[in-house]
Amino acid sequence: MPRAAPLRLTGRHAAGRPVPELWAGLHLPGIDPEKLQQLAVCAQRFTPRVSLAPPDGLLLEVQGSLHLFAGVAGLRGALMSECLRLQVQPVLAFAPAALAALVAARAGQSLAVIDLAQLTGQLAPLPLASLRWPPDTLARLARMGVRTVGAALRLPRAGFARRVGSQQLAMLDVLTGRTPEARVTFHASERFRRRRELCCELENHDLLLAALAPLFAALGAFLRARQCGVVELECRLTHRHVPATRCVVRLAAPATDVQRLAALLGEHLSALNLPEPARACELRADALVPHLPGSHDLWQPGEHGGSAGNEACGLIERLRARLGSAAVHGLARLEAHRPENAWAVTEPPPAAGRRGAQTGCSADAPAAGRRPLWLLPAPQRLCVRDGLPRRRGPLRLVSEPERIETGWWDGGEIARDYYTAVDIHGVRLWVFRERAAPHGWFLHGIFG
Amino acid sequence: MDGDAKLARLLEHPAIWRGRSAAHPRGLPTGFAALDAYLPGYGWPRTGLIEILVSRFGSGELYLLLPALAALTRARCARWCVWVAPPLMPFAPALASQGVALDRVAVVGGARPLWAFEQALGSGACDVALAWARQPKAREIRRLQLAAERGRTLGVLFRPRRAAREASAAVLRLSLEPITAGVRITLLKGRGALRGAVDLLRPGGWSV
Repeated sequence: MPRAAPLRLTGRHAAGRPVPELWAGLHLPGIDPEKLQQLAVCAQRFTPRVSLAPPDGLLLEVQGSLHLFAGVAGLRGALMSECLRLQVQPVLAFAPAALAALVAARAGQSLAVIDLAQLTGQLAPLPLASLRWPPDTLARLARMGVRTVGAALRLPRAGFARRVGSQQLAMLDVLTGRTPEARVTFHASERFRRRRELCCELENHDLLLAALAPLFAALGAFLRARQCGVVELECRLTHRHVPATRCVVRLAAPATDVQRLAALLGEHLSALNLPEPARACELRADALVPHLPGSHDLWQPGEHGGSAGNEACGLIERLRARLGSAAVHGLARLEAHRPENAWAVTEPPPAAGRRGAQTGCSADAPAAGRRPLWLLPAPQRLCVRDGLPRRRGPLRLVSEPERIETGWWDGGEIARDYYTAVDIHGVRLWVFRERAAPHGWFLHGIFG
Repeated sequence: MDGDAKLARLLEHPAIWRGRSAAHPRGLPTGFAALDAYLPGYGWPRTGLIEILVSRFGSGELYLLLPALAALTRARCARWCVWVAPPLMPFAPALASQGVALDRVAVVGGARPLWAFEQALGSGACDVALAWARQPKAREIRRLQLAAERGRTLGVLFRPRRAAREASAAVLRLSLEPITAGVRITLLKGRGALRGAVDLLRPGGWSV
């Protein structure tokens, strides 16, 4: 079942008529974004409809909450004390339109307008600069003698739209509540943190995993309720004397299956050397990712075209859990003439999915010349007798030379003549002779 | 009536079943006609573990597999082609020029090649997994074979030539040695296979 998109727009309508709204606008000059987020989370205490107005504004729709705080005055007091707790100094204004509350707060006016009919009159003395229009627009209006909201509202609409801009006119309409404004509701990011004190100190991995089982069950319920998955799971084991041991499981794709998570954590734990027995354990999942359950294939992977997406992710995670994250990688080919630079290590390939059958090699046109299937990490010097290279016996050169001479522009210059050689056991090698003195011979690859 | 004709008549008896005529699932074409005719199922098995024994790394064993690898990785719903603990890094441009789709190739390094190989075989995420192992025990090879059947994967294990005397649970065992003009392939074990050896000559394309 796909997750229903949360209703984000905050315009509330009942029976076709807009419900009266009351917005509290907070202007917080110079606040850093992190603190703004923090404040937004705290502000959700007062109303579910909190909206950010970056960089320094916050809006709360409080019509429904007024009676809980004994009216505007009580709510103002509660909000101010919450801000003081977070050590920010806001200007707070109340107005029936969100933008009006924000503009009033920016202008430093702690207005409290409850009636929409009074709004225009109360906004009139506010400076236009609080609307944060482009400076040249404001300068042009100032030259016309228009410096306040009231003066701008008195101008003829058609002329205002022509001279100043229809966007600005629309903003004035939003400001006075003539047109409703749709604001994006702030959603706090959620995280899972659950801790369990152990009844006795544990060191055995299996026992620890068993002790973690209730936490995993809680995590499963948490993720199910939110239709979310995790891509990173952290387990903290607290000890008596030494700092806590952290164990982080990273996943290739968002996971919701707690049994799989538990199995992966078990792999990580078994690779871990605990300095001391653990007294408490804690599970943390900070970043939640919306999870869209995929459909399952009718066919098994490998049958007729059943794909293997889930199996592939599971394989990567198991391998990485035990062997380390660098142990699994993909290969890519680069367009470069130097053999050393012609390939790169990449992330593991994406899980197998359906794609068009590829026929022929047109997409991967063969590189010029022959290339070995195995390349040595670095060329290996060969000993030379009578001008010919040797490796466990004399080498026989069986091909014409291929000259690779490039890289003079970046300091990694090479000038080599590559040959295919066969050693006495019949193994075909890719060797080169340096063009520069002393004309050394090197082994660079094995044809395989 | 001489002996051969007598034997032939005897073998026509419907109660006599011969190994060679057993129903083999159609194999994966190797890309070499002589080898296809030689292998049971007329190609590599699609599922199960095969062993390729070589006297020396780089004797031509990988070129033997390349046409099959290219076909598998370019298929419509290709799963992965995993290389477990290769002794050197496979050279991506050469693989690509031989037709292998690099977006299906994954390389697994690390300390436990046999464990990683078993995981890759049993996961069902791979069409083919290649591994280089020093001295796997017969029990471990049996586990690998079972994992390959579970995951419907073709597993290819490269081992040194001296392992030919050991028993193995692999469905197919080949020994490979370079000769002047190509390689000689000897079949050591195969269900209902012919005995003997087949020589593959190096055509122009193969000789790279």
